Amino acid sequence: MGTADRTIKILIVDDSRIMQNILKNSFDEKEAWGKTEFLTASDGEEALVVMDENTIDVLLLDWNMPKLDGLSVLKKLRQTDKYKKLPVIMITSEAAKYNVIEALKAGVSDYIIKPASRKILIDKVKGFILGES
Amino acid sequence: MKKEYIMPFVEATQNVFQDFFGVTPELDTPYIVKKEETSNWDISGIIGIAGESKGVIVLSINEQLVTALTSRLVGRKITTLDDDVIDTIGEITNIIAGNSKKGFEEYRLKISLPSIIRGREHTVFWPKQDIPILSIPFSVPEGKFMLFVGLEKKITGDILT
Repeated sequence: MGTADRTIKILIVDDSRIMQNILKNSFDEKEAWGKTEFLTASDGEEALVVMDENTIDVLLLDWNMPKLDGLSVLKKLRQTDKYKKLPVIMITSEAAKYNVIEALKAGVSDYIIKPASRKILIDKVKGFILGES
Repeated sequence: MKKEYIMPFVEATQNVFQDFFGVTPELDTPYIVKKEETSNWDISGIIGIAGESKGVIVLSINEQLVTALTSRLVGRKITTLDDDVIDTIGEITNIIAGNSKKGFEEYRLKISLPSIIRGREHTVFWPKQDIPILSIPFSVPEGKFMLFVGLEKKITGDILT
């Protein structure tokens, strides 16, 4: 992915505004991949609207949300050619193995259990942006 | 009291408090609630449990402690139970419930979205069904809080012994 000449767009989808800010602030140092714009959505339906209006590079997706949950969003995205390969990192409190397996079967790119380690989060996002994952 | 029943909740609570507020709560002695207790809780986060067992998880804190902790998290002085406090309690309760599930994999538990009760010195009333309510008290330097866990007896088994 060529990153030097354009802004990377990361969409954070979480029904907690506090968690949106925690995730956004994880990236407060100068990112290795250059300029980054963070977009936010508070539920799955809003996320799909934001994605219709923007080209997203990485999606950070909560699982338990009102209106449309993260797993349903993921399944919808993977049904379309446009989003088949979009890096989707699920960031959720759901720590049971059967939850992780369910997300993997639905096509999630990576899975982080909350509370999310800042280093792990940055490493995984960086991996997708720089094409290392 | 069976340690393996309590520890998933204790570890999840200590982990999220350390991550959000930079403090690891100390565990006091857990006990089974015999009847509704009067207390000084001012805000409670509630998550319903479904799946192959039913139940509820409730995190209860008083105003003084929760505003002090949330102030630390958001980097501004909070003096009332505002939207940031409500959001924080909801997210913490969600993380405790979701993380604790890994201690009970075989029951394939599902958790609800959090609901928040805000009200000075409120009392929580529990289901009348066969669900023992376990009180897990914690303390941090600024005060005390409580995690209540109620799960059907098929999970809790002989924790009363």
